[in-house]
Amino acid sequence: MPVRYSRGESDSTKDCWMKWQIMDDDWDRETVLARKVLAALSARIWIKWSAGEHAALHRQRSLPHRPPVIPLVARMADQNTSGTPAMTEREASRLDKFRQLLAGPNTDLDELRKLSWSGIPRQVRPITWKLLSGYLPANAERRESVLKRKRHEYFGFIQQYYDSRNDEHHQDTYRQIHIDIPRTNPLIPLFQQASVQEIFERILFIWAIRHPASGYVQGINDLVTPFFVVYVFEYIEEEVENFDVSSLQEEALRNIEADSFWCMSKLLDGIQDNYTFAQPGIQKKVKALEELVSRIDETVHRHMQHYEVEYLQFAFRWMNNLLMRELPLRCTIRLWDTYQAEPEGFSHFHLYVCAAFLVRWRKEILEEKDFQGLMLLLQNLPTMHWGNEEVSVLLAEAYRLKFAFADAPNHYKR
Amino acid sequence: MSETYDFLFKFLVIGSAGTGKSCLLHQFIENKFKQDSNHTIGVEFGSRVVNVGGKTVKLQIWDTAGQERFRSVTRSYYRGAAGALLVYDITSRETYNALTNWLTDARTLASPNIVIILCGNKKDLDADREVTFLEASRFAQENELMFLETSALTGENVEEGFLKCARTILNKIDSGELDPERMGSGIQYGDASLRQLRQPRGSTAQNKQQCSC
Repeated sequence: MPVRYSRGESDSTKDCWMKWQIMDDDWDRETVLARKVLAALSARIWIKWSAGEHAALHRQRSLPHRPPVIPLVARMADQNTSGTPAMTEREASRLDKFRQLLAGPNTDLDELRKLSWSGIPRQVRPITWKLLSGYLPANAERRESVLKRKRHEYFGFIQQYYDSRNDEHHQDTYRQIHIDIPRTNPLIPLFQQASVQEIFERILFIWAIRHPASGYVQGINDLVTPFFVVYVFEYIEEEVENFDVSSLQEEALRNIEADSFWCMSKLLDGIQDNYTFAQPGIQKKVKALEELVSRIDETVHRHMQHYEVEYLQFAFRWMNNLLMRELPLRCTIRLWDTYQAEPEGFSHFHLYVCAAFLVRWRKEILEEKDFQGLMLLLQNLPTMHWGNEEVSVLLAEAYRLKFAFADAPNHYKR
Repeated sequence: MSETYDFLFKFLVIGSAGTGKSCLLHQFIENKFKQDSNHTIGVEFGSRVVNVGGKTVKLQIWDTAGQERFRSVTRSYYRGAAGALLVYDITSRETYNALTNWLTDARTLASPNIVIILCGNKKDLDADREVTFLEASRFAQENELMFLETSALTGENVEEGFLKCARTILNKIDSGELDPERMGSGIQYGDASLRQLRQPRGSTAQNKQQCSC
């Protein structure tokens, strides 16, 4: 008889909403936490992570189940949009700092990185992401012309190449993209709109044929999503989840498309070996994750070894999709604030985030006493309630790990 | 939670992208169609305990990603699989044409004795059919595969697919054709049969004698 599972989430959206309001982001929290953990590190004190009251994963579940995406925007909104209840003073002051920094004729990118590490307010996120990714120049005067040129260039590619999608040597690529797009974020109505799906198809196809060493690999489609959502926010005030893009001006939509393409390309430039033949980048990082975890939490490592769980079995996806399948979209966006602020955020810092993420579940992991239980837990971690708070804690711990191991890689090699 | 079972079989679900592998697995375990299916990255794991021919069998199922680029990863799961569902989409000739490659992979990388059932999925989309039952059935015969047309949407033949495969493996164990003890057989004894094994018949009789005195 089939073993049933229940989804383990009992909070209604409203409850979550309220909870999120209460623990509304303290933007500086990460910095504070990072300092705390560093202090703890020297004293060799292990920071105890609260397992979280909602970590109860139903034991009987037996099928890979990805949590449905809960209101993407409920969480976006709590990042102090104009429509939401008053910002905290700290948030307001942070937003001010961003605005001041961005107002000058030459944005100090180092300062911007420092400020962004702990999260970027929604109002300034689009421009900040474009600056941090290197898409926009620091010099404010040049930005308009750069944008114009890049957008023009992208639509030039479309004109030149997009018709070739049905040519024999490209049809496999296009077909794969075409069947994956309707399956991208299947629970968010925004992504079910035909015009949005066409945008994704164009972005991915053009990227794929311009990067033949990897081509299109499943998972890359997910990586467009955060950029697209953030850049849509540049033009709208309301929620994005159910937003009808046809109400946008055509030019706005074209800008969003081109900007998403270029920023995604920048991201992928740094992690292309994740997607080339045999995916060496991922193999290497999963290996490094295993070594790292064996050093930072031997109990967890041994426990998984004992039940013959291999890191590749769960962490492959963590690397291939940059944890996007494990976290709600709103958390990915927050995570990427830091990844873009951190040198080699996507290619290197991500490893420490994965290690911190795994050890975050140590209690749940140690409670599982067989291969099946462990596998189901690790492929379906209960993060659907997660918001900025949890991501902040995760990032602080990752930072601590990086601080301890990055400059001494032999530390984590056995 | 530890259920008792007589055997544990390791299963694979393989086939081209978009043929409905994950939906078949979901239908098998949850008894419903997964509307919001996202494509599989690497492999995903599922499990269900079934009753076949009076034996309790735990199926440990690895659902693999269909895209070519993931083969280097998914191939590592082939080793030690006792059974496989080889899936194509009856509305896509391309996925049918790829079957030979998948089959070669399965037979060379998994055990040569792997029991494979061919599943022509999306049976509910008969209007868009590109592969006839007869054609696929011939292919199955030539390649010594069992064959069913399935629908992950309606659930038709999904259970049968998994059970048929499990039953064939059990029969082969009974007939001695498959040796569960062989390395990489993809078969393990469960607690229930282990107990029987640990207690050979002679000793059971002895116990009884002891009890009666």
